[in-house]
Amino acid sequence: MTPIPDNIHGAILISIIDFVLSFVIISGIGVVLAILPVVNRYWTIDDKDLKGGH
Amino acid sequence: MVDQLLSLFDSLLKQTGLAHLYWGNFVMLAVGGIMIYLAVMKKCEPFLLIGIGFACIVVNIPGSDLALPGGLFDYAYKGVSLLIVPPLIFLGVGAITDFGPMIANPKLVLLGAGAHLGIFVALILAKLIGFSLSEAGAIGIIGGADGPMAIFVTMKLAPHLLSPISVAAYSYMALMPIIQPPIMRLLTTKAERNIQMAQLRKVSRLEKIIFPVLIAVIVNLFFPPVAPLVTMLMLGNLFREVLIVGRLAETAGGTLLNVVTIVLTVAIGSTMSAKTFLTMQTVEIVGLGLIAFVFGTASGVVTAKIMNLFLKTKINPLIGSAGIASVPIAARVSHIVANKENPKLFLIYHAMGPNLAGVFGTAISGGILLALLGVK
Repeated sequence: MTPIPDNIHGAILISIIDFVLSFVIISGIGVVLAILPVVNRYWTIDDKDLKGGH
Repeated sequence: MVDQLLSLFDSLLKQTGLAHLYWGNFVMLAVGGIMIYLAVMKKCEPFLLIGIGFACIVVNIPGSDLALPGGLFDYAYKGVSLLIVPPLIFLGVGAITDFGPMIANPKLVLLGAGAHLGIFVALILAKLIGFSLSEAGAIGIIGGADGPMAIFVTMKLAPHLLSPISVAAYSYMALMPIIQPPIMRLLTTKAERNIQMAQLRKVSRLEKIIFPVLIAVIVNLFFPPVAPLVTMLMLGNLFREVLIVGRLAETAGGTLLNVVTIVLTVAIGSTMSAKTFLTMQTVEIVGLGLIAFVFGTASGVVTAKIMNLFLKTKINPLIGSAGIASVPIAARVSHIVANKENPKLFLIYHAMGPNLAGVFGTAISGGILLALLGVK
């Protein structure tokens, strides 16, 4: 990988890449969260069973 | 006889701290005092500022050896510099945090990225005024408004800047109720501030248990540089959500969190000696930190307004500023500003979604930054 130059162009470049990638990755997490409720169709856990304890 | 006595007193005086006091010590004693005053009288994050302020006062008394190698404060600092304390803080935070609001409204996670423009504005400005790219990255991460993450990234990129960066990060987090509201009001109309948000769906226990495991896998897979923090956050949250290990969750989120908070605050305060802290560089970092917070708050609100252009059910843009992280202070600020506008508005639960996403947003930004700079 070519190192990011330690100058103002490097700072702008790193900022743009980081900001855009952050949006992409956090959107990915959002998509994962959006499909998370699907698990409820296949399995349910009752709080009472868990609180029964150990 | 008199000469002998004077000479004895003189050597005695030289052994005390009095002989070594200079104006810088008085300035830092005042800074420590102001921190304790803000904590006690203004109730600004007392859990953080009391320890920081007290340690700041103690280390600025010449002769005090608590922060010298082998002193107790020095061991506290070692816990921070060896990156032991920040992940333990995250373990405790995870154990007391309900991620339900974030899971219930996934589209709001975008605000967790949107409210981090401040990181990059501060990074570019820091570079412009002469900091190295690594130093600029560490300074920028102040805008993530996440203390442990700021410390973590700083220790990897520019450990010599830990003192001013951690002080700036924690001080501005404590001052968020003062910094954020004017910006939030400036960027929103009265009608926007009055938007009532729909009630969130109930998140099942199963989802809450799967969530921390899933996130730990994703973060370790894609962001190994920042994985220790988020992994511990998720472990603490798993303790909380499985319900069967209540004792572990209580310890992680209670006693352990209190202990590591004490260690963290005295460690930060102990780095604030006048000789190292009173420099032009500190002034620049504190200034850049404020700019980062201002831009982060503004970009969060603007991102929420942009989202409203595409959403059928509008969101109250005041929750955008909560995406800056700093859980739960920023969410509380969103709620208070909305509630002052309209006493019928209760945004706290809604604002917790972007607020929690902000933690991930900071971790992601920090992880990408470390990866781009080739730091492991």
